[in-house]
Amino acid sequence: MAFLELQGLTKLYNHFVAVSNFDLKVDKGSFVSLLGPSGCGKTTTLQMIAGFTEPSSGSIFLNGKDLSNIPARKRGLGIVFQSYALFMHMTVAENVAFGLEMRKIDRSERDRRVADTLELVHLAHLADRYPVAMSGGQRQRVALARALVIEPELLLLDEPLSNLDAKLREEMQLELRRIQQEAGVTTVMVTHDQSEAMALSDSVVVMENGKIRQEATPFDVYETPTSPFVSNFLGKSNNMRAELISQTPDGAIVECNGIRLESDPVSLPQGPVVVAIRPERIEIASSATDIPGRVTERVFLGSQWLLKVETGLGELLVTRRNTGHREAAPGDQVFLNWDRRHLRILPVEQKVSRT
Amino acid sequence: MKPNGSFAKLFSVLFALFMLAPIIVVVGVSFTPTGYLEFPPSGISLRWFREILNHPDFIAAGWVSLKLGFASACVATVLSLPAALAIGRGRFRGREALQSLFLSPLMVPTVVLGIAFLRFLTLVGLNGTFFGLMLCHAIIITPFILRLVLAAVIGLDRSVEMAATSLGASGWTVFRRITLPAIIPGVIGGWVLAFITSFDELTVTVFIVDPSTTTLPVRLFSHISQTTDPLVASISTVAILFTVVLMLFVDRLYGLDRLLIGEGKR
Ligand SMILES: Nc1ncnc2c1ncn2[C@@H]1O[C@H](COP(=O)(O)OP(=O)(O)O)[C@@H](O)[C@H]1O
Ligand SMILES: [Mg+2]
Repeated sequence: MAFLELQGLTKLYNHFVAVSNFDLKVDKGSFVSLLGPSGCGKTTTLQMIAGFTEPSSGSIFLNGKDLSNIPARKRGLGIVFQSYALFMHMTVAENVAFGLEMRKIDRSERDRRVADTLELVHLAHLADRYPVAMSGGQRQRVALARALVIEPELLLLDEPLSNLDAKLREEMQLELRRIQQEAGVTTVMVTHDQSEAMALSDSVVVMENGKIRQEATPFDVYETPTSPFVSNFLGKSNNMRAELISQTPDGAIVECNGIRLESDPVSLPQGPVVVAIRPERIEIASSATDIPGRVTERVFLGSQWLLKVETGLGELLVTRRNTGHREAAPGDQVFLNWDRRHLRILPVEQKVSRT
Repeated sequence: MKPNGSFAKLFSVLFALFMLAPIIVVVGVSFTPTGYLEFPPSGISLRWFREILNHPDFIAAGWVSLKLGFASACVATVLSLPAALAIGRGRFRGREALQSLFLSPLMVPTVVLGIAFLRFLTLVGLNGTFFGLMLCHAIIITPFILRLVLAAVIGLDRSVEMAATSLGASGWTVFRRITLPAIIPGVIGGWVLAFITSFDELTVTVFIVDPSTTTLPVRLFSHISQTTDPLVASISTVAILFTVVLMLFVDRLYGLDRLLIGEGKR
């Protein structure tokens, strides 16, 4: 049995399915993210693990123990809330010491562990401050220290970085990863931010409407999404309706708006499919090739250019690394091509029902 | 009108003067050396403050009012705290009804309330007792304190309590160590507001006092219906001073602006 195991975890609110038949295995020491749009049931899942929401059915095992009959206060998990939930009337050190105090750990050991943990999150110099006098990033570290000091078997993070501004968020991503690895604590994070999930996790669980859509390493979810939803949710993707018309052992052919495209072999029945290609895999060819198009918009993003190109397939997003040269301008005629390996053939999405 | 234009400033000053005028007049009058109400006073004298000491009935009434305010504010606080917690965060049917019930005496005309209390106290045999009076005041002031405590409870982030629970705190420990400290400014603010309201209360109280439980406002009221000497002004000045001191205390503790706008401490 894995270190943390969720089996058929389900939560119903009346007849509304917030989380549906959720199975998950998390190895000791690893960092798993639950990723999905707002309202897909991430927080509900986390709250069931934490013991604040009672599952309608299913079970949770941590380190071989069934958590069903263990109340939240006895589960010994470290939780970081989206709002940080600091105790505003206590200093940083008092906040961090709270969990140890509840465990009746004696004064000298408590002080030592608080100091060590504050050291870990680089806050030792602010031990006597009150949270009001701290920045968002610092509060976040206090929340993390408070959760880690009790040496939890499992760390739960609910959108831990979403209250920080963009630049700080990137810094904290690296920090969070470092702290998690130094503490060696098994971690489940909830987020709607795909870049956060990819940057931090060993494994990403993509959710939609209370269900798991795909679970894999960040690289695999990005490179080989199994559905248009996942391909769209992680990174940018050009998704087009098409028809799978022939398959041979050395390749498949799809037809999209009357244009035939080749791809690597797939294991799908012939018929309607979705083809997906990432903007950064599309090349602008120097000579005339299959797909002519006209640039309709161009946005400069610093390290890259984002182009919108009107083609026979429809409008395609194309990103181009900024190499110091001016890029094709709106109105310019261009020719697009790509390596057929990068074309994903995905099944047509079925609507997932919630009842 | 520009918010900081000279016209706006003039308006603010005039408005403040208009609001403060009665207090200025009362305080001014209390320092008069003459035997009649005179403003502006023709001199400065403490005659009417010394005169207070010759009226033990006023001093006794003052003590009754202080004790009454203290006791009823405490009782109302003890009632409001669990009520606010239940109304502020409970999910139960009739929650809204309960909320309007607790806030309702604010809407009932005080004269009606006075007559109702008189009937009720007579019925239960508490008429003319300090205890009966205290209960009535507690009822009158509960809405004031409940409002502030409720605002504090609603402003409280539930996840703070969850955080404490996840760290191993029991329900009682969470309340004592986390919830209560977070809402205590609202509770103290409510207590002070309730105390002042009780200390001030006249309309309902006239219906239910008897000579042994006469409060300061009632005593002052009956005094001015017979004579008008500057004694009422000097007593009022003492009461105003007392209120100002109390307000300064609350301001230091909590911030008056927050208290009067009635939002929880974040
Ligand atoms: N206490 C509740 N009662 C009813 N519905 C709820 C409750 N909590 C959450 N939900 C619903 O369950 C769904 C999942 O919520 P949540 O887990 O908070 O989503 P996420 O964290 O992924 O944004 C949402 O549609 C939400 O409206
Ligand atoms: Mg959420």
